[in-house]
Amino acid sequence: MMKPSFFASASALCLGLLLAIGVGFEANAAAKCIKGDRKAPYTIGWANIYSVPTWMKQTQGTIEAEVETLKKQGLVDKLVVTDAQGDANVQIQQIQSMIDSDVDAIILIAGSSTAPARVIADACAKGIAIINFDSLVDTDQVTAKVNTDSSQWGDQAAKFLIDAIGGKGKILILNGPAGVSVSDDRRKGADAELKAHPDVTVLAETNTPYNVAPAQEAVTSLLFANPEIDGILSLGGALSAGAVLALDKQGRDQVPITGENARQFLELWKEKGLKSWATMQPNWLGAFAAYTAVQALEGKDVPAFVKIPLPVIDNSNIDEYLARAKDFPADGYIYSPYDEELFKKLLAQK
Amino acid sequence: MSTVSSARPAGALYWPVQARRNIGVRSLFLVVLAFLIAYGFLFPGLFSASGFAKFTQSWFPLALVAMAQAILMLTGGISLAIGPTVSLGAVIAATTMAGPLGVTGGAAAVALTGLGIGAATGFIVVRLRLPAIVVTLAGSFIIGGAALLILPRPGGAIPEWLSDLLAGDTPTAFVLLVAIVLLWKLYLATPLGLSLYAAGENPVGAYRSGVPVDAARVAAYAISGLLSTGAGLFVAAQTGSGDPVIGAAFTLNSIAAAVLGGIGFLGGQGTMRGALAGSLLLSLMISVMFFLGFTPVAQYVAQGLIIIGAVAIPQFRKVQ
Repeated sequence: MMKPSFFASASALCLGLLLAIGVGFEANAAAKCIKGDRKAPYTIGWANIYSVPTWMKQTQGTIEAEVETLKKQGLVDKLVVTDAQGDANVQIQQIQSMIDSDVDAIILIAGSSTAPARVIADACAKGIAIINFDSLVDTDQVTAKVNTDSSQWGDQAAKFLIDAIGGKGKILILNGPAGVSVSDDRRKGADAELKAHPDVTVLAETNTPYNVAPAQEAVTSLLFANPEIDGILSLGGALSAGAVLALDKQGRDQVPITGENARQFLELWKEKGLKSWATMQPNWLGAFAAYTAVQALEGKDVPAFVKIPLPVIDNSNIDEYLARAKDFPADGYIYSPYDEELFKKLLAQK
Repeated sequence: MSTVSSARPAGALYWPVQARRNIGVRSLFLVVLAFLIAYGFLFPGLFSASGFAKFTQSWFPLALVAMAQAILMLTGGISLAIGPTVSLGAVIAATTMAGPLGVTGGAAAVALTGLGIGAATGFIVVRLRLPAIVVTLAGSFIIGGAALLILPRPGGAIPEWLSDLLAGDTPTAFVLLVAIVLLWKLYLATPLGLSLYAAGENPVGAYRSGVPVDAARVAAYAISGLLSTGAGLFVAAQTGSGDPVIGAAFTLNSIAAAVLGGIGFLGGQGTMRGALAGSLLLSLMISVMFFLGFTPVAQYVAQGLIIIGAVAIPQFRKVQ
């Protein structure tokens, strides 16, 4: 009587092991676009849409640093950089040149959410690893897409602010430019929280570029019109710095405000002793894209979409960020620290 | 007897006239040739059917807008609305071709829109005697806004077979370009085409000689609009979709290509082959500098130097 059950459990165990191996093998199956015919060291192409903004320069900095690390490991021998100067047509031509010169991987921030789809599909068909981050393309012909969640950005910011003003009060909302998907998505993300708190009144909303001066100007005129403001829901970039400066210039008391990791804002936050909260679009998305491309080329499976959790800066860790401020440009962004361990963890999440 | 004697000098004159027209752009042709050779040397895949196809596809829309700008500048006009018109052509193609209108209906809509916008602009400029630069600047806002109204966010679709036909691995774009250049030659032989240079160089003199100056200029605007929306249709096919701001850079690039090709701002000066060579140079530079491994910053500097060089060389020779 014992024997059959022993055999049964033994065979069940074997089956389980086989399955586990099978599953493990599945997990190691090549990622999309990867054919396995490319061998290290690899050439990586970085198809930038526009290299001038500080955020882009810092992002390129993280890519270059990551490529240096990968070079030391013998995995990469060359980084090819192009700059489309904001022209989506030029970006397509440059990606075509990368295909023609047979790079092994292309990482890109897209200049249009639709235009590069066909040239990317061509590259994918040639076995080139494609990692698309920040501004994404509507196509599944890529190895992986990497981004944070803009709607979560807005939701978390609204949560913090409503909590900070005690669930009721009058607020301003500062948005990025109208008609830009990141700006729209952040604003939409804040909607649910605002609806859930009818005692929170939105006095006015602004749409400005993600720069200090226009935001300061817009907030200044709103301050004249609204003597009583309890909080400012700022949805990004240097808008918050502009708002803080506007309050300061008029001698008004600072109010709870949300923001992003712009160095100028973080320094004002400390200087004025604000109660604040900030998140970021981490510049190391670029480094992570380069890392992911090499992992995919090395035969590792990578998720089709890697959602990067939003790093949060609040009064508990602002000092850690400011301690590193001198390593970043004055008009730049102090991004959260990153290392290979973090990248491994991000790739392992499902 | 009389037909023979009058035909022979005409035929004998044709080539010398063409050669004289080339004088201003000869150095540009040499620069373009040098770049072509360099490109072929750096990227041997250029001589395969698909390599040649992809290369001409990158150039094709710029070639069309360079022609669209050149035809206006030859009549003494200019357009700052070329980029938005390209965008409008692209979004109309992307929103109609996959729908009930089909490819034929969509292409007709694109063509009619281009002709209509061009003719309307031309009518305002020519009949109301308003400066082209102001009318087309205002037009660029209206046309750009219309493109955003039709398609607020990038989207739409182009039938896969059309994308593959126009922007696949076959040099259809090059064949189309040759066909368009032949049509241009034909147009120059018509009364309106003959009036084009005269209307640009000396409108008053031309008018007094019985040249239909106004008709020639309005026709030039209409053709320019058609070429621009046609470029938009091609860009939509190339990208498989529509984007309401995809054409933005074409306004300046079309002017750069035309000026590089020896077309004067005052009208009546220059040749279409010059504008085409100018657009080819702008397109080639991007690819050649990529293969030379220039960093983006070095590319900016090199681009500027090449453009100044190509424009300045003929001037040096004139001075000597």
